[in-house]
Amino acid sequence: MRSYLIRIPSAIWVILVMMTIFTQASSRYLTIENIINIIQQNSILLILALGATLVLLSEGIDLSAGAVLTLSGVTCARIMQRLMDSGSSNVTAMVAGVSVGLLTGALMGAITGSLVSLGKLPPFIASLGMMGVGGSLSLVLADSTAIYIHNPVYSFFGETLDKTVQLPAMQYLSMPTFIAIVVFVIAWVVLYHTPFGRYIVSIGGNEQGTRLSGVNVTFWKWMVYLVAGIFSAISGITLAARLEAADSIVGIGWEFDAIAAAILGGTSFAKGKGGIAGTVLGVLLIGVARNGLNVSGVPSLWQPALMGSIVILAIVFEVIHSRWREGLR
Amino acid sequence: MGERTIMEARGISKSFPGVRALDKVDFELKAGETHILLGENGAGKSTLMKILSGAYAPDEGEVYLDGEMVKVFDPRVAQRMGVSIIYQEFNLIPYMNVAQNIFLARFPKRWGFIDHKKMHGDATELLSSLNMKVDTHALIADLTTAEQQMVEVAKALSIQSKILIMDEPTSALSERETEQLFSIIHQLNRQGIGIVYISHRLQELDQVGDRVTVLRDGKFVGRRSIRGVTVDELVGMMVGHSVREVFQREHQPAGPECLKVEKLCKGKRLQDINITLRKGEIVGLAGLVGSGRTDLARAIFGVDKYDSGKVYLFGNEVRDFSVADMVEWGVSLIPEDRKNQGLALKLPVAENVVIASLKHLFPAVYVGKKKEMTYVSKYVDQLRIATPSVSRIAQYLSGGNQQKVVVAKWLCTKAKIFIFDEPTRGIDVGAKSEIYALMATLVKEGAAILMISSELSEIIGMSDRIYVMREGRIVSELSRAETTQERIIECAMGADEVKRQKEHAGTAQTQSN
Repeated sequence: MRSYLIRIPSAIWVILVMMTIFTQASSRYLTIENIINIIQQNSILLILALGATLVLLSEGIDLSAGAVLTLSGVTCARIMQRLMDSGSSNVTAMVAGVSVGLLTGALMGAITGSLVSLGKLPPFIASLGMMGVGGSLSLVLADSTAIYIHNPVYSFFGETLDKTVQLPAMQYLSMPTFIAIVVFVIAWVVLYHTPFGRYIVSIGGNEQGTRLSGVNVTFWKWMVYLVAGIFSAISGITLAARLEAADSIVGIGWEFDAIAAAILGGTSFAKGKGGIAGTVLGVLLIGVARNGLNVSGVPSLWQPALMGSIVILAIVFEVIHSRWREGLR
Repeated sequence: MGERTIMEARGISKSFPGVRALDKVDFELKAGETHILLGENGAGKSTLMKILSGAYAPDEGEVYLDGEMVKVFDPRVAQRMGVSIIYQEFNLIPYMNVAQNIFLARFPKRWGFIDHKKMHGDATELLSSLNMKVDTHALIADLTTAEQQMVEVAKALSIQSKILIMDEPTSALSERETEQLFSIIHQLNRQGIGIVYISHRLQELDQVGDRVTVLRDGKFVGRRSIRGVTVDELVGMMVGHSVREVFQREHQPAGPECLKVEKLCKGKRLQDINITLRKGEIVGLAGLVGSGRTDLARAIFGVDKYDSGKVYLFGNEVRDFSVADMVEWGVSLIPEDRKNQGLALKLPVAENVVIASLKHLFPAVYVGKKKEMTYVSKYVDQLRIATPSVSRIAQYLSGGNQQKVVVAKWLCTKAKIFIFDEPTRGIDVGAKSEIYALMATLVKEGAAILMISSELSEIIGMSDRIYVMREGRIVSELSRAETTQERIIECAMGADEVKRQKEHAGTAQTQSN
């Protein structure tokens, strides 16, 4: 029994404890609506966190994720706005905008990846630089404000599904959640069922050993950042659709939530330890905490301090917990 | 040489899990002498040196400094008692200057601030007392290896060391720098400082040592005065007379040539290397650590680029190859440093086994778990890897089984040429013979093996032919019939050269007479 309980990831324990506390603090907390709300609000963070997890597994880090999220939303919106102003149909504008947004993410990822794999820069430095570049470009392209988008075809990506699909309980499933699920499945297949996924974990586990196994480490490392860039773009485009606007600073700080979620889910900075299932829990943990603080009426000035403390405590618990698990072997 | 004994070790024993590194070893050092510690790789020199400098505590035995028994084994205590050690890897801070390095942790102070003037003055005085011309303001990173070594010596003297332990100090020095170092050593001896000098190079003994102590397999073999000992006698002491056959394998006639290296050069590390390897053969690559054996293996496997030379595989010349190309050709490397280069310790056995062959195994990109597991299980069974399941984390396997996992990785790629670098390093005796049996099976089934090994019994027991390397060159090729432990040691340490020089000197003398 004990060994069974300890196999339950640490994030689940933390989530359960927090939910118990928040339920006591507010009667509005434990309602279906609120739980659904948590899931919907955090779907976009999940997409970003999945990319962060892949990068962490390869023993890298991508600090530019938030900036790429912003920039992709902005380029997408900019193109869409241009085309619609010049009389293109909503569909054409949407397709073009989304494509350009995805391309932006891919390009940013490719540059970070080249700096890391070919340029042999530490990932921290390379992605920090790209974070600056991305943030600045977003401000320039959006004239330091937000670009509002009035395109129903595009906005569909941010809506709940009950209007389009006539099935029970559809009001609980939104497009962002649906997209996150699709991205999760793709990430799962890539990570666990393609050579690429194996190489990511193996490079994280032992880069030199992987190179000595004849694997083109330089190429696959580059690829990790490219994929992470695309994931950032998907979250940026979805976020803009949900807000019906591409804000020029919307993504600031998101990269830290994404990295924190991955680590809370058991992915480690080193040795290729962890996985994407844990990241889902990590995102939920962050979502539950943030929502709970809101609902139970903690003053907004104090919320970041409490969030930070919760994340630290949860990570400390994860470290202790993983030591217990190791001890059981 | 003074007559006062300043350091004495009696009956020192030290064990590590699985090995008895030292077994009742005696050692002594007199004031003003240079005492050489000689022995093969793994004879116990480093362990003894670490005990004398306080890094390890012995399991049994006593160490006396100036007649006083050492109770606490701690490097800082040893330092306070006048024992300093200079490792092969220097302990200097690269981006601090010479004076700062010499006085690190003991900066001369004035009003609580570092007294730079005094520091540089003292450093200059110290260096010039040793006839060393080094600018005290120069950064360590800008100095040559020899100069860095001088700074290490100066640092040791700055704390009034009476005993200096030097670990293979000449291994990275040029001939001229070596002479310079020797003159410094002589000068230190004249000042009454005792030096423990660890070396592999028989050529040097005459020039620097007063006495020599030989260790073998962790045991004290003998102590001799340098004057009056012959090279043959020393080699004999190092080898001993118990040739223990580790493994008996059937030798078979060699097949066609599968690997040929011609005139391969890479800086100073590899010079004019010519070797061949035939199907069904185990070829040993002997030599001391640092003689270029691993460099050669890495160059052949495409890990490091080389300057010039040709590599042929199965009769075809290959150029500008990467590791991936070599794997394609059926070449494989089982590295010495299993934990950092062989496998990913935190990952399951299965993932370690298939990592090199995913492309061939799953050409359709999708990795099917079921197919992977059957495939991995096949090799786990074939090599009898002892693991509860293929999803076991590699870290929890024994050294021998980890090594088998690395071999399984290459069996998956259908490798035909296996380069084993120290195949049984860190593996217990029982598992060793299993690795030997595995190697024998591989060549029987048509593979070829190039085996780098520092264990003489292993290399003699397993090899059909042996190349011996010294200082980046292949110095001899020995057939199975002519191989003896003495022969290998002579070639690896340059004893043949010492003899030749002596003969030469002898004839010169007779001629002049």
